[in-house]
Amino acid sequence: MDQEADMERAPKLRLDTFCVFVLLVLGLVISIISWGYGFGRLGRPGPGLYPFFIGVAIAVFSLVILISELRSDTSRSFLDKEGAKTLVFMTLTFCLWIVAMPLLGYVVVTLLATYAFCKVMKLEGWWKPLAVSGGTTLFIYLLFDYWLYIDLPRGILG
Amino acid sequence: MEGLSLLFNGFINSLTTVNLVACFIGALIGTVVGVLPGLGPTATMALMLPFTLPFGATTGLIMMTGVWYGAMYGGSTTSILVNIPGEAASVVTCIDGYQMCKKGRAGAALALVAVGSFVAGTIGILGLQFFAPLLGNAALSFGPPEFLCFMVFAFVLLSNLSAEAPLKGALMIALGLFLSSVGINPMDSYPRFTFGSETLMLGIDFLPIAMGLFGISEILNIAIEKYVKPEIVKIRLRDLYPDRKEIRRSIFPMIRGSIVGFFLGLLPGPCTVISTFVSYSLERRISRTPEEFGHGAVEGVVGPESANNSAVMGSMIPLLTLGIPFAAPSAIMLAGLRMHNVEPGPMLFTTNPDVFWTFIAAMYLGNFMLLVLNLPLVGAFAKIAVIRPQILMPIISLICLVGVYSVRNSIFDVWVMIIAGVVGLFLRKWKFPIAPFIIGVVLGPTTENSLRQTLLMFKGDVSLVVERPISITFLALTAAFLAYKFIAPNFGKKFPLKIEEESKL
Repeated sequence: MDQEADMERAPKLRLDTFCVFVLLVLGLVISIISWGYGFGRLGRPGPGLYPFFIGVAIAVFSLVILISELRSDTSRSFLDKEGAKTLVFMTLTFCLWIVAMPLLGYVVVTLLATYAFCKVMKLEGWWKPLAVSGGTTLFIYLLFDYWLYIDLPRGILG
Repeated sequence: MEGLSLLFNGFINSLTTVNLVACFIGALIGTVVGVLPGLGPTATMALMLPFTLPFGATTGLIMMTGVWYGAMYGGSTTSILVNIPGEAASVVTCIDGYQMCKKGRAGAALALVAVGSFVAGTIGILGLQFFAPLLGNAALSFGPPEFLCFMVFAFVLLSNLSAEAPLKGALMIALGLFLSSVGINPMDSYPRFTFGSETLMLGIDFLPIAMGLFGISEILNIAIEKYVKPEIVKIRLRDLYPDRKEIRRSIFPMIRGSIVGFFLGLLPGPCTVISTFVSYSLERRISRTPEEFGHGAVEGVVGPESANNSAVMGSMIPLLTLGIPFAAPSAIMLAGLRMHNVEPGPMLFTTNPDVFWTFIAAMYLGNFMLLVLNLPLVGAFAKIAVIRPQILMPIISLICLVGVYSVRNSIFDVWVMIIAGVVGLFLRKWKFPIAPFIIGVVLGPTTENSLRQTLLMFKGDVSLVVERPISITFLALTAAFLAYKFIAPNFGKKFPLKIEEESKL
């Protein structure tokens, strides 16, 4: 209940409202850039005509949504402190896999990333995460490398 | 007769080891996905796309439809046994299904749902088999103006039916259309929004966006939510026999659900979800004992479950005959077919008739496989529902990462998937529907081509569009729909088909 009360007391300038504002700006930017590509004529449309109207549509829809969001009082905060921490660590693990995989090879990085995911999702102990990561790596090796013949990076450790 | 011989050929083509195995794997994975609360059929179909690439287009289509279809079968299991819908189209089944379970009739409910899904699937396939070629032939008369007007009609319906606020749906479609315009425009080879990047010249691939928005965002969503272990009721084979009264009460809801579902499957939006709500309210309205609804009425379980299976087949019609997907899973299917160089649309029946008829034949076989799988293995499937997400999600995360990388050996695609995943999580939490976005991405190039070709055809005189009968019909339908949307609230009527998009599709 405390958590819900905290969420109700979320600040007035909400992230969702700010993002709609960003979309409004994006719509305007798309329209301006598209104009630069060449609008052409209606009888002979240029490459900028279609994205120009899409940009205008994005800007108009965002503006109307922004006005209605600013009028409403309902809070849309959905992340508590624990949830935010989990989200950050999950995203970081994804990013680290992307950066490290071409360098260290998919086997080692997949093993480590699965272990990290298990721990971020609070799988207790050390042998369960180890078993899951070992099994996942073996499955990925068999499926992609052995059966589908996909050439995955082996890196310096591969 | 020609149709029968084509179907016979389809059976011969589908009875290959590869197609049968693809059908079985698709149906099995779909059922498991349907049982598991979390990952939906759209995410799973996106996840499976890379694995279909080494095989032909027909095999890929069979496998992916098997997943979608299997998910509809499996979704009811957890709805009935634990009151947790395995996927969005099984939410309605919880109402009476769980009540039947509490009365000790869970086995009977599951058996009737499996048979109902089989009947609905068969009726749906029959409908697809007869209507699709007819509509395909009719669609041959569609030119760019007709396609453009149909697209406008579909977008208006889609934004209204799949979002809490229609404007949010419209905004998502527009964003999807924009994203599809990134890269070199094939009509005049002009690079747009590439900012000098060679990677962006090729455009943003559909697959990582779909896997991010439906797969990664769902994984992140499950990770940030607290897990409550469900308790499963044990089912023995002898519990699966429904009594005579239950069978009698199920026959007509099965048929009605199948017909309603099939036609609602033709609508843009989350048709499988909508079909269950419509079927449930229809059964309740015409029932002689409406007071039983909500307390374990078998009609309230069988009707909606038949409807969602039939809707899957109905929604294949616009995809196969016009090349226009109306729901997120069919958008994935369109992307999959394009990856196999097959362009669904009016010409499919003349250029690739074997794809269509092999698919139809395989669906008959798949439907039968699902019945055989679901009846005896219902207890085993129910146990899958208790696998903890702490074990399942790390495995799925890594399959997503390696899977999306393996398609083009591109790290850029993996970045796109992760960004789409994080953005998708926030979008769904803020009630921005994801399905219109993904449909916008898929239909973007067709929309632009139709618009530009129409303008060229009419030399810029857009008013000539109304002189074409099919175009004016679609525009009139759009106007009528919008007028109804604006006028109905003033008369105290609520639009009945507005379904809030569930956290997953």
